[in-house]
Amino acid sequence: MILQELPELVDDILRVLGFWDQLLIGLAKTMWLYMWALLIGFFLGLLLAILRQYGGRVLSRISTGYIELMRGTPLLAQLFLFYFLPYSINSLLRAEGLPYIPIGGWAFYTTTEIFGRSLTFVFIDHITLIGILTLGLNSAAYQAEYFRGSIMSVGTGQLEAAQSLGMSRRKGIFHVILPQALRRVIPAWSNEAAYLPKYTVVVFYIGVTELFAKAHHIISETFLTLAAYIVVAVIFLVIITLISKGLDIVHKRTAIPGL
Amino acid sequence: MEKKYEKVLKVVDVWKSYEDLEVLKGISFELGEQEVKVIFGPSGSGKSTLLRCINMLSPPDKGEIFLSGQSLMASEVDLNAMRAKIGMVFQHFNLFAHLKAIDNVSIGLRRVKGLSKEEAHIKALEALRRVKMAEWANHYPAQLSGGQQQRVGIARALSMEPTLILFDEPTSALDPELIGEVLQVMLDIAKAGTTMVVVTHEMGFARAVASEMIFIDKGVIIERGTPKHFSTSPKSERVKHFLKQIDILYGRHEELLELPDEDD
Repeated sequence: MILQELPELVDDILRVLGFWDQLLIGLAKTMWLYMWALLIGFFLGLLLAILRQYGGRVLSRISTGYIELMRGTPLLAQLFLFYFLPYSINSLLRAEGLPYIPIGGWAFYTTTEIFGRSLTFVFIDHITLIGILTLGLNSAAYQAEYFRGSIMSVGTGQLEAAQSLGMSRRKGIFHVILPQALRRVIPAWSNEAAYLPKYTVVVFYIGVTELFAKAHHIISETFLTLAAYIVVAVIFLVIITLISKGLDIVHKRTAIPGL
Repeated sequence: MEKKYEKVLKVVDVWKSYEDLEVLKGISFELGEQEVKVIFGPSGSGKSTLLRCINMLSPPDKGEIFLSGQSLMASEVDLNAMRAKIGMVFQHFNLFAHLKAIDNVSIGLRRVKGLSKEEAHIKALEALRRVKMAEWANHYPAQLSGGQQQRVGIARALSMEPTLILFDEPTSALDPELIGEVLQVMLDIAKAGTTMVVVTHEMGFARAVASEMIFIDKGVIIERGTPKHFSTSPKSERVKHFLKQIDILYGRHEELLELPDEDD
């Protein structure tokens, strides 16, 4: 049965690939969301990890609280919260007769033509912004835990040696702990780097047209459900394989000789 | 006023406890310029804690530490600046694993003393030469033997030109055949006039350079005196027993080691 169906599936996939302009725009949007979320997550996550580890009583508790809250609640719930929060605030403001926050209706985008098809790429509009922020703030919590693990693995002796030379804790953390922790974190951190492209699909629910939304669009036009999802799955597989391989190379290149 | 007669280090009635455990119970001693003080005693007696109190990595609960007359317990003191004047050599070397030997030595010169990259490099190489490690300047710690790592550790402390260097059992994590090279370097710098506080059980080293030896047990000073005093006429039974155990360990005694009872 399956073998007999296969030629048909190949045809379907080719038809889905006929929407290459849509898929390309969707892929670009997915990677755009991924890049910003990973970047925001990296810097905020690193800050959270440092605060949790070295921040003293108050700051380390705030950091821990943030990490547990973000890891303990569904990403989709966070997305909806960030999406609806401005509207809720506005209705409160409106009830008080106060000026309210302008939400949608703006966008930065560019349009180009490739092989006779016109492609419009939205860099940022209000739903993209909310998507990026939610993914970044969520990823930060996970990345923070990877960073904390690697910071702890460096050991207290290194910071004590730095302090015994007269370095402040801050200098010790930046010149001694982080250079080692960031090398050590790569294998574990590559988990987050490989998960995050897949998590970006949730922004489909607030209307961001990334790869998954484009698949829906193609399905609504062609009804080729299986073929469309196969194409999307293969695209994700390729992206994530490339990310993993890339990070493997970075890990080997940055390895400390002799260790 | 009388700055030139000021002792390099004064430790006055230092107490330290970790939770319920009292580790130091009123330790006092002084150290003059170019003096070498050897501190020894059984494990868990508080020797390492004492060194960590001196450079304020674990500040004492009570008591005073003076470096060249300046109190380290005073609230307005810049501890980072003071620590730059107190070198420390660690039992487990604690070299910065991600840096080459030369960069391990120069990092303090650059990040603390603010020297330029070139100046720091020249000074670091000079320090490595003093510990006979200049040839290994471009090796990472993991590519060096324990003895070589410890010599880099000593160079790292020396390069800062500190007023005083603390040695925390610098040879006790080393294979026996590597101890000699580290002790030789320590002898060299001691004879060159470095002021040192050394926690060690190397009695040969102590005899060669110590101006005074202090025996500590359970957080108190049991006995103090010259190396000659300890080798000829130690008074306390505790010290005699300890020295005998060390002699046995080094094969200079007929008896066997007394092992503690299993249910101890």
